[in-house]
Amino acid sequence: MWRKFMVFGMVLVFAVSFLLAAPVTIRFWHAMNGPLGKMVQKLVNEFNQTHPNIVVKADYAGSYSETLSKTIAAVKGGNPPDIVQIYDIGTQMMIDSGVIVPIQKFINEDKSFDVNTLIPQVRGYYTVGGKLYSMPFNSSNPVIYYNKTLFKKAGLNPDNPPTTWKQFEEVARKLTVKKNGKTIQYGFTSGLIGWFFEQYMAVQNALMFNNGNGRIKRATKAVFDSPAGLRIFNFWNNMIQEGIMINGGPGWDNANAIFASQKAAMLLDSTSDVGMMLAEAKQGHWELGVMALPHPANVPYGGVIIGGASLWMINTHNTMKEKAAWEFLKWLEQAKQQVQWSEGTGYFPINKNAITKMMYEGFYAKYPQYLTTVFQLLMSKVDYATRGGVTGVFPKIRATIEQALSKVFDHAMTPAQALKWAQDQADQAMAQYNSLYQ
Amino acid sequence: MHPAFTLAHQEVIDLSKKLIPYLLLVPTFLIIGLFIYYPAVMTFQKSFYRVSPFGNRVFFVGLKNFESLFESPSYQQEAFTTLIFVVVSIFVGLVISLLFSLLLNEKVPGIGIFRTIIFSPYAVSPAIAGMLWSFLLNPVVGYVSYAFLRIFGVQTHWLTSYPAALMAIIVATIWQNLGFNIIFFLSGLQGIPESYYEAARIDGAGAVKRFFNITVPLLSPITFYLAIMDVTFTMFSSFGIIDIMTQGGPGNTTTTFIYRLYRDGFIYFNSGMASAESIVLILIMGIVTFIYFKFVQKAVHYR
Amino acid sequence: MKRKTRHTLRVLFVEVGLVLMSLVVLLPILLAISMSLKSPGEVFSFPPTIFPHKFYLQNYLEVFQKVNMGRFLLNSFIMAIVIMFGKTLFGIFAGFAFANFKFKGSGILFGILFITLFMPAELLLIVPLFSLMRTFHWVNSYWALTVPFLASATSTFLMRQHFLTIPKELEDAAKIDGAGPMKFLFQILVPISKSMIGAVAAINFVYAWNLYLWPLVVTNSNNMKTVQIGLKMLMSNQSNNNWGIIMSGTLIALAPTLLLFFFVQKLFVKGLASTGLKE
Repeated sequence: MWRKFMVFGMVLVFAVSFLLAAPVTIRFWHAMNGPLGKMVQKLVNEFNQTHPNIVVKADYAGSYSETLSKTIAAVKGGNPPDIVQIYDIGTQMMIDSGVIVPIQKFINEDKSFDVNTLIPQVRGYYTVGGKLYSMPFNSSNPVIYYNKTLFKKAGLNPDNPPTTWKQFEEVARKLTVKKNGKTIQYGFTSGLIGWFFEQYMAVQNALMFNNGNGRIKRATKAVFDSPAGLRIFNFWNNMIQEGIMINGGPGWDNANAIFASQKAAMLLDSTSDVGMMLAEAKQGHWELGVMALPHPANVPYGGVIIGGASLWMINTHNTMKEKAAWEFLKWLEQAKQQVQWSEGTGYFPINKNAITKMMYEGFYAKYPQYLTTVFQLLMSKVDYATRGGVTGVFPKIRATIEQALSKVFDHAMTPAQALKWAQDQADQAMAQYNSLYQ
Repeated sequence: MHPAFTLAHQEVIDLSKKLIPYLLLVPTFLIIGLFIYYPAVMTFQKSFYRVSPFGNRVFFVGLKNFESLFESPSYQQEAFTTLIFVVVSIFVGLVISLLFSLLLNEKVPGIGIFRTIIFSPYAVSPAIAGMLWSFLLNPVVGYVSYAFLRIFGVQTHWLTSYPAALMAIIVATIWQNLGFNIIFFLSGLQGIPESYYEAARIDGAGAVKRFFNITVPLLSPITFYLAIMDVTFTMFSSFGIIDIMTQGGPGNTTTTFIYRLYRDGFIYFNSGMASAESIVLILIMGIVTFIYFKFVQKAVHYR
Repeated sequence: MKRKTRHTLRVLFVEVGLVLMSLVVLLPILLAISMSLKSPGEVFSFPPTIFPHKFYLQNYLEVFQKVNMGRFLLNSFIMAIVIMFGKTLFGIFAGFAFANFKFKGSGILFGILFITLFMPAELLLIVPLFSLMRTFHWVNSYWALTVPFLASATSTFLMRQHFLTIPKELEDAAKIDGAGPMKFLFQILVPISKSMIGAVAAINFVYAWNLYLWPLVVTNSNNMKTVQIGLKMLMSNQSNNNWGIIMSGTLIALAPTLLLFFFVQKLFVKGLASTGLKE
């Protein structure tokens, strides 16, 4: 009898201690598909191995907008993930959601974390009203990729790329090749992507929205119908109408394919595609160059805005889980992981020390294309314009600007009309959204 | 009935017999009640509210969602796009299907195989149709794109320029719906007695005249039925084609009602607006149903 | 003699027309097959080659590496089979009720069902239907993928139409033999309606397999996605625009319904052509 009790007691003790030591499980939803998703999983595995008392379960939830919509559904359904990757323009929506924990809270409590290791331009974007809301993760910028081989063919110096819009147009003109009246090679291509408009605004140090781009207080009006905005519409449209640029249309893939197949000599794209482009160049036997985004010569230079996504912590009212989630976020930010992430994907490291490390280890010497992308970022000012706009209806505004551009290209509106139309739509959407938070 | 049953038993049996049809209908009505009628009521209610994306703010706004919907210039544009898309897809689709069916109605060797082949797009999903046509129209690898380049000497960016993109989704829609339409037309053609044609032939009517005087009128009930079915198809099922091929772009030029509804509901998180759009669609489909009831049911009698 | 040549010529003419027509209709699928067999190097060759130089079957394997295709296929099969069974069974029940019984309210009930014929709720009412799934905690589960589709007006009508064609005498004979209505349904009606039931089942399978927007919205983990959604992933996935892989995936997703269609084409035609139509 006693023996039975003993066994029972031991089992009980064992079970209790097992339960106490049972690892905390963190659910992490991300929007990284394909090779990027594999890289995320790799990092997660590494974290799980080195942190026996925490288990991070990563899941691909879909594209950026799908991930946001699924997060909303999960929150409403009472079963949200603990950490979720949300795109840049979802920032205000997340702040307004009432279900997140700003990571500033942990930064204030946890002295082991040095917030100054974050690159200021990156930190600037996700800081609203003095609070860092989410942990930056995959960050990128726009750059111009160019085909050095085609530059040489056109008699241009590939090591001296254009820096102003005017020079850029001239170069694009020279890179355009016609045969029997048909264009067989365009100077430039880009997808019709609203993000690029925002970037062209930032290089001119111009604001998208009032109230300091929505960073002093909630933005109530769009202000992109400005000389700066009009300049962009004209710049973009003139090159297309002249036939030195080919419109890649909505999305990224088409323009990328045009450039990769050497039907265009320059491409506006995200820095996160460096790796892919290097591979394309190697396969097609041409040389890839990367240049910073050009800017109009007579306007003071601002810089580029960080794009991509960041990691948000959902409030689960469970201190253990929050702590574990913070551990994971903190770990991801460390230089070592950032080097791995950046080298494996083409996104920037968000940690200054990671850049230094990559510099020392010779990564940038080996791939100078990456260096341009980092320089462009570090050269950018950190002010309201270059930190980017914040508003709860940004996804819609971005799409509206794309529609406006498309109307211009199809001659349905003049640049000035289209810009005004887009701004009116944006104002309307913002008023509607803001009315929920008064 | 069995003579041994007492009257009481008989009553019980009668009652349970009376219940049987209702019991048989329970599963179906449970499903449509819970998953069609109840959401319809919900959407009606939701259309009067404005709700924040995460649902933490809710305001009653009356008819404001409908107001801003009808005032929105993009909604007007989308209405026009939807109309063009639906009408052109159905009209062109039916004409092509009818012509194909005429050929398929010939009694020649191997006709069975030809029928199977030509019916086959019926098995293809809208998403897959979208994938296939995205591929064919791709400017870099697409055969159709290449053929156009060779024949007309122009590089058309099918999926990224207007109105080419709208034409592209129409082509994919027609192709995918071909099998369905032809199955009906063919069965219609097979039901026309040969003697009608013989009589016309004796009267000296040529092939064209026979087609317009006999085939067309006799097929008109089927054509009407198909047109109505195709409205549902093009209005809604085409979502997969649009989402894969153009995602409503370029600009807003291939955004139909259903695509807008998805975008407002699941990308912009404006559920009030999306609900108002649902109501508009319900009304449109209500009219379609009414037309069906009124005309098709009359013309096409049940067996 | 002359008449015979004219006939032969006509047949020849028709055959040529049929071949051309079949080519046009099948072209997207044929070219997709060709593309799916091209090596990465050949995919971008310009002008595009019609026949691959070498059959590169690797693409089909890569589909499974790029996305979780095996699991997607499984999910699609589960969803399609469950929906097929539910819709067909409940369609038989409801069709039987409407065709073989006279009962109070049958007209109204029929009308209520009829209206839903043109209301594809999974598209038209996606927003409230989705919130309903949230209320039930069904998001990202097989429940959400199947239960809302277990019954429909279409199946009910198809079965009702069919049962109406069956001679009344059969039912009377069964009654005289003392068989209750359920016994009559399962022992007499269902066996003699096998081909119609098969047709309805086949139509329902294709319908469920091809659902797109609903699984797109209602699933969020890789474990629950269906093939149709896998295709979207494959295309937006950095498969570097390798259309060889993308088309392989597309053909894998298409294969089950296309094969089913080829094998039981007669059933489909029979089923569809009797959706309430008589010439």
